[in-house]
Amino acid sequence: MSRKLKRKKSLWYRIHQNEKVQSAETVLLPLLFGFLFMIMWQTQKLHTLLHTDTFTLPLPSRILTIIADNSDKIMLNVNATVIVTLAGLVAGSLIGYGIAVLAALFPKWGSCGLKIIAAFNAIPIVALAPVMTNWTKDVSNHADIRSMVAKIMVVTIVCIANMSINAYRGLTELKPFSEDLMCSYAASKRVTLIKLRLPNSVPYIFTALKVAVPSSVISALVSEYFAEYIVGVGRQIRENIVLAQYSSAWAYIVVACLIGIIMYAVLMIAQSFMLKKRA
Amino acid sequence: MSDVMEKIKTEDRTVEIKIRDLGMTFKDNNGNDMKALTGVNLDIYKGEFISLLGPSGCGKTTLLRMIADLLEPTDGSIHIDGRIPKEVRLMQKFGIVFQSAVLFDWRTVRKNIELPLETMKFNKAEREQRSSEMLEMVGLTKFADHYPVQLSGGMQQRVNIARALAIRPEILLMDEPFSALDEFTKEKLHKDLLQIWRKTNKTIIFVTHNISEAVFLSDRVCVLSPHPGRLSAVVDIDLPRPRTLEMRETQHFNELVLKVRNSFEGGSL
Repeated sequence: MSRKLKRKKSLWYRIHQNEKVQSAETVLLPLLFGFLFMIMWQTQKLHTLLHTDTFTLPLPSRILTIIADNSDKIMLNVNATVIVTLAGLVAGSLIGYGIAVLAALFPKWGSCGLKIIAAFNAIPIVALAPVMTNWTKDVSNHADIRSMVAKIMVVTIVCIANMSINAYRGLTELKPFSEDLMCSYAASKRVTLIKLRLPNSVPYIFTALKVAVPSSVISALVSEYFAEYIVGVGRQIRENIVLAQYSSAWAYIVVACLIGIIMYAVLMIAQSFMLKKRA
Repeated sequence: MSDVMEKIKTEDRTVEIKIRDLGMTFKDNNGNDMKALTGVNLDIYKGEFISLLGPSGCGKTTLLRMIADLLEPTDGSIHIDGRIPKEVRLMQKFGIVFQSAVLFDWRTVRKNIELPLETMKFNKAEREQRSSEMLEMVGLTKFADHYPVQLSGGMQQRVNIARALAIRPEILLMDEPFSALDEFTKEKLHKDLLQIWRKTNKTIIFVTHNISEAVFLSDRVCVLSPHPGRLSAVVDIDLPRPRTLEMRETQHFNELVLKVRNSFEGGSL
């Protein structure tokens, strides 16, 4: 009897130590938790816990029904938000990277300039968005284009600082002796930049993007709150809350989460391809 | 066996590198002068294997870096075939092997070896031909398409040597290249290095803090002493070539090691 018990224990131990089981566990356990959470939500146990009702916190089934019924309208708003997010992310990252390259080439001015840019990072989006709306008044006669430009500018500014600081580290934190090595080949500043600094900065670009992607989604949503033209997932959340249509607001909240999660997943896949061979 | 020895002795030993009254003074944190190296006079012959030996702080790496024009001396002069180091560096006649392999993670072994050839604007066919040649020389042909992270420390150091030799430098400068490797790998690479040296006839300047390594590899051992760093002796190593690992067990080898050890100023290390 005691022998049997011991055998059982070691079997459990062996299953637990199996690498495949361990990697499955890292996926399955969070999924299980999420599933339980959804069940509690749907069966209103969550509402009892949080002392709330189905009007403020609609049931998942209701939220999904609203998403399905309004898919055309939702996609229209998703499009607007995704365009703003991506355009701002790309513009901000490119400008940030350009600043980092300049700073790396002219180190005396560079490190000082980057400190100033880092200070810009401290400006809250909520403060930035109305300012940008005001600035872009004369950009176009069409309110939709004016608003779009203002929103993209907010996201751009949020991305610049983050990318320039990370990329600067990637361009300057080199392996010991690698600069000496390039110097011994009589390589010019330009060649050293192309052959050594730029490739060295690639992992740092991903570090920057891992922060920039979620924060650009958030800043796009928030800047929509303050925009002149009423479009975008963020704006719809606001409008629906103002009208006390909590079910619709929740539908847009779920969609906003999905946008962030999908963009982050795409980034992680891209990273695993790009950095496959690196240490 | 001794014909190579004969060659070295009888051949007119052309001086390649002429070092006169060389000194290097750094400023320390308090702004005081700190002499890293002072009053070095040394002639290095063409095709010679010469070691710079000494404890840490004796200025051996400083001396190597000054020859390579990675550091500018504060006193004295270095001339390489009548040219100053900077000219020679710009002519890309130095191959340098650093302590760590400094391979670029994002390049395959082959592409790492081709790096100096790219900066020298060799075309693709020439680069491939040279890198294949070098890969064969260091015995890594099978690993051409591997990335540095997939290699052992010894293999990485061999790629490092191959990369330095790819541009066919006239002078190979090595800064403690094997100090981070285990004893077995080190012995293997010693043999490989001597073979490569015999095949290519380069001048090799080899920095080390290991006495028996210096004696085993070199024609001459320059002994440097610290505080301030200075050249305290140059010991001729008259062991026959080609050298074998068994020679390390002979009495003559031990006598030479002792001779080198005793030539450190201030006695023992």
